[in-house]
Amino acid sequence: MSDPLHSDAGRVPGVVGDRIAGALLLVLALVAWWLSHDLESGFMQPVGPGEYPRLISLPLAALSLLLILRPGLNQRWPGRATLVRQALTLLVLGSYAGLVKPLGFLPASLVAVVLLVRLFGAAWKPSLISGGVLTLALYALFEFALGIPLPNMPGLDW
Amino acid sequence: MDILAFLAQGFAVALEPQNLFLAVIGCTIGTLIGALPGLGPVNGVALMIPLSFNFGLEPTGALILLVSVYYGCMYGGRISSIVLNIPGDEPAMMTTLDGYPMALQGRGGEALGISAVASFVGAGVATLGLALFAPLLVEFAIRFGPAEYFALFVLAFATIGGVTGGSLIKSFIAAFLGLLLGSIGIDAVSGVPRYTFGLYELYDGIDFIVALVGLFAISECLIYLEDIRGTSRPTLTLGSAIPGVRAAGRCAPTIARGSFIGFVAGVLPGAGAALGSFLAYTLEKRWVGRDGRFGEGDPRGVAAPEAGNNAAAGGALIPMLSLGIPGSGTTAILLALLLSMNITPGPLLFEQQPEMVWGLVAALVIGNFVLLVLNVPLVSLFAKVLQAPGWFLMPMVVMVAFVGVYSLNNSAFDLYMMLGFGVLGYALRKLEIPTVPVVLGLLLGGQMEFNLRRAMSISAGEWNILWSSGISVGIYLFAVTLIVAGLVYSWLIRGRRLS
Repeated sequence: MSDPLHSDAGRVPGVVGDRIAGALLLVLALVAWWLSHDLESGFMQPVGPGEYPRLISLPLAALSLLLILRPGLNQRWPGRATLVRQALTLLVLGSYAGLVKPLGFLPASLVAVVLLVRLFGAAWKPSLISGGVLTLALYALFEFALGIPLPNMPGLDW
Repeated sequence: MDILAFLAQGFAVALEPQNLFLAVIGCTIGTLIGALPGLGPVNGVALMIPLSFNFGLEPTGALILLVSVYYGCMYGGRISSIVLNIPGDEPAMMTTLDGYPMALQGRGGEALGISAVASFVGAGVATLGLALFAPLLVEFAIRFGPAEYFALFVLAFATIGGVTGGSLIKSFIAAFLGLLLGSIGIDAVSGVPRYTFGLYELYDGIDFIVALVGLFAISECLIYLEDIRGTSRPTLTLGSAIPGVRAAGRCAPTIARGSFIGFVAGVLPGAGAALGSFLAYTLEKRWVGRDGRFGEGDPRGVAAPEAGNNAAAGGALIPMLSLGIPGSGTTAILLALLLSMNITPGPLLFEQQPEMVWGLVAALVIGNFVLLVLNVPLVSLFAKVLQAPGWFLMPMVVMVAFVGVYSLNNSAFDLYMMLGFGVLGYALRKLEIPTVPVVLGLLLGGQMEFNLRRAMSISAGEWNILWSSGISVGIYLFAVTLIVAGLVYSWLIRGRRLS
């Protein structure tokens, strides 16, 4: 929900941000429009599967154009250090998503949580401790309290 | 009286030990989540949905759990507002204006007590309103055909942007983006795959829950990373909340006015609790005039917005349950839960599953008492949670989201999708494009298209069926009125900023 009550601190004219976003959305709308032509209209259906997305992509394209022409306000974008931190966080989470099944829940989560806690600004020692606690707590919650099987370590079945 | 009989039946459902337990758990978790700075009801409920699925709860139980979390968050939001001057969520914003000054003066306990009572009355009024007005709305809506429903969806989208006060262009962009994302998947009418690019994971469309958790919880963490150092906070002595409960008596007229205003704001589609608390505060300030010392720790400045936001939270359930149109971000998520359980809210829900609707109403009444009991004596305990370091809280939120979403389908694809939506949510928030209309588009798009196409089938392709009935014309007129009201509102906000 956009917030009418925030102070203006941290807001900047969104000339660059809004125009890039507008351009991307415009492309999206045009691609959606173009792809919808491949959709066969159903038998005896006055309105086929393609019409509705076309009805949406038209106003989306018009509004995106308007955004390019009349950019509004943006929140201040973060500096490079923060962007790197955010990218690393996403990298950890993405790798975790791919590795949780092959490696098993416990080792994959332990590594992921410790790295995450580090990225959120804690020193190594609290990271290791809280990482261990959080991993075990999650394992206990899902495996025992909720009865949801989580992936086991390969070769270990219990 | 029918309503009383239904309500009695509802209490029988809500008082079942399991449901009662869920209400208490939900209220506690909700208060905790709401108290944490940055995490509001939207995040709280979004985070709880995968968990409630994993509990294997039947729909009534899951709904009771989640609305308890919802009400709990609305209560909890005031704690960090008063103690830390950081609103836990948007509706709690107005509470900081007088709550934090009170806390600085050593009257934090009093502020917490007053706000607990105000929240209780506000939520109570809204629940009463829900029981009285939702059935009336249902009786009206039962006559709706597909064309009228289509108009109703247009109304929902037309109002969300205007009344939230952001940029109108951006709100509508968000809504259309959501609608476009919602059209991904196999077309329900013709069976043709649409925008799936051969990925079978997309055949069912984008999973609401995966998208919601990404848009809210993951993007919240990315935002949080921008400011991990945090600011040093003065330690405040809170004192007992009990004197506040007594002082609340003096604020009774304020609480009554705030509850009424908040309730009306909540029922309007798209307005939500933020508008409820804002209107309650500003109107109270105007009502009391120069007698008050608003902004310097006037107890009425705490009572009015808290009554307002809790009343709005309950009021927003009315259009969600009776029409299937959510009045706020959080009710949109509750709607997502219902839809993913194959329950379509709307007039038929009241006819076909009265025990669910009335059980929910009764659970809200019970939850409200539970929250009052929890919040007056235990408030210092909840305030302690605020001292947990962010480096622990945020990874915990991410991990709960991750494991919760993963265990829905054991699918890594869902996790990547969630991360994608996290990045999208982050970018949207930076661009000041509201995320709630995206969610609404994603959620309501399917039903909107279905009703449009059914109407067109009935009329054999004549578009004017969409505006051929009095009801649908009335709805369109109402939509236009609300857009105009929204423009006036944002104009007023701008005036307030300049002054």
